[in-house]
Amino acid sequence: MIPLEYFLILGAILFAIGAYGVATKSNAIIVLMCIELMLNAANINFVAFGAYHPDIMGQVFVIMTITVAAAEVAVGIAILLNAYKMRKTTELDEDGLTSMRW
Amino acid sequence: MFVEEIFGDYAAFAPIIIMLISALILPAVHFAGKRHTVTWAVALVFAVVSMAVNAYMLVDGFTGTTLGVYEYDAYTGVMLLLFQIVLFLAILVSNASTETTRLHVGAYYALLTGATTGMMFVAGSSDLLTIFVGVELTSISSYALVTMKRNDSRAAEAGVKYVIVGGLSTALTIYGISMIYGLTGTTDIAAIAASTAIDGMNWILAIGLVCMVAGYGFKIAAVPFHMWAPDVYEGASSPVSLFLATGSKKMGLSVFFQIFLVLFVAGSSLSAICGEEVQYLFAIIAAFTMTVGNVVAIAQNNIKRMLAYSSIAQAGYILIVMAVMTDYALASGMFHMFTHVFMKGGAFLIVGALICAGLGEKISDYKGLAKRSPFLAAAMLLFLFSLAGIPPLAGFTSKFFLFSSALGGVDGLTSQWVWLAFIAILNSAISLYYYARVVKAMYIEKGESTEKIKIPAVFTVAIVICVVFVIVLGVYPQLIFDYCETAAAALLL
Repeated sequence: MIPLEYFLILGAILFAIGAYGVATKSNAIIVLMCIELMLNAANINFVAFGAYHPDIMGQVFVIMTITVAAAEVAVGIAILLNAYKMRKTTELDEDGLTSMRW
Repeated sequence: MFVEEIFGDYAAFAPIIIMLISALILPAVHFAGKRHTVTWAVALVFAVVSMAVNAYMLVDGFTGTTLGVYEYDAYTGVMLLLFQIVLFLAILVSNASTETTRLHVGAYYALLTGATTGMMFVAGSSDLLTIFVGVELTSISSYALVTMKRNDSRAAEAGVKYVIVGGLSTALTIYGISMIYGLTGTTDIAAIAASTAIDGMNWILAIGLVCMVAGYGFKIAAVPFHMWAPDVYEGASSPVSLFLATGSKKMGLSVFFQIFLVLFVAGSSLSAICGEEVQYLFAIIAAFTMTVGNVVAIAQNNIKRMLAYSSIAQAGYILIVMAVMTDYALASGMFHMFTHVFMKGGAFLIVGALICAGLGEKISDYKGLAKRSPFLAAAMLLFLFSLAGIPPLAGFTSKFFLFSSALGGVDGLTSQWVWLAFIAILNSAISLYYYARVVKAMYIEKGESTEKIKIPAVFTVAIVICVVFVIVLGVYPQLIFDYCETAAAALLL
């Protein structure tokens, strides 16, 4: 059996890549994709812990997370589309969606 | 009891079932009737029925469990009542507000009701899974609600910020939960608190706790996770701002109470390991949240932004509960949530009413308001002074309870949190400055126009309700505080 640590390290790497993307990328769609990466990092943790405990709750949680993530992306993309119609941009930097500050 | 006769085994679920039916039929009602007022009336009737059923269950002292995951006790009842009051106020004015009547109202009311269902689901949950799902139901509905104000570029931008920050907070939370689950093998909060699997501080526990505090910290806009709140409250229509500032934020605080107060309550295995550290962590977050909220609010010229920062500060006051962690602190924190609904809700209602009347959102637009509408100016004065904590208004009473809990409670014992109460009182003084700026604009400065302001009748009704409660809870706090004490005892057995 593959040791538990391997799964946790994979999860941590995915989470770190996602967090790095959220912090540095300025395109809102890429940021949403990075958030998906972070969610999937947690999913890997859940499945691994669920298999090693052994307990069904981990997999139940993953199904819930996937459902929530799908709903969130559906709403998120709709919101981005709305913003794109209004501003003709999906960039989150100086020229894009940052008219409100402080 | 009639609730049990109708709902049978699902009696604990009764207020939520009514809300769910409402959320599901509202789009159909609008599609069939195409009349805004009919849809509004149906939404309002369902909200009132749900509130009545819940009030009856609360006064009757009902307790029960449904499906093993949802537990109705005094705490659930009090929190449900709070969310239902918020929903009632938000729906009541939505049909008259020019900001919301041009939307697709079937979806609008369904989302409002759905978001409230999520909050109500959270309030009765004792499992990390159900809390997570409830919070997401509220959050995803709120993203859509903020962006629904179409053809408004500020709302579009606020929506993008809200959905990205919300998604980030979800990811952090779920990662934290996965760590805690891995450590204990369960997601039931009481079982985690009693778990013997945790035998000391380690990396997994630390990452789990920090990620969960940060993730849910985004939801209540605690510093340093607060940057989205002012943008969202400014961009959204006023009834939605009211709903988010008073309802959604209270849900986040309720999550903090239900997870962290239960995990770290005296005697649990976790409190022995890192109870004191976590208390100090929350104390520092509380101190920063109230200070940053109040200091930045001084610089605001847009009244909605100012109220948003003041909301952040108020969340900071309520976070004192998380540092003190006693029954009395929890009861006074819940009482402050109630008074906050009426005073902050009332202030947002007045802003919304004035937008309908054609006034802007700048504080300078409020010049000479006392001449143009003495009622609105007087009500605004009352709400702002209540937020600042001037006796004998509700804000004073609840802050008094809250700060005295940090000082050691009713029996006058001194505690380690005196410094926190001191910072909170200093902050109240700072907050008076920016509230007084609005009052000065309304009463002392002369406006360009002296034309009388007419606002829709339902706004007057909603504002009068808030005024009455701000005064009544100030002089007779036992009306709700007694229930809060029962609720605190029920949560922290």
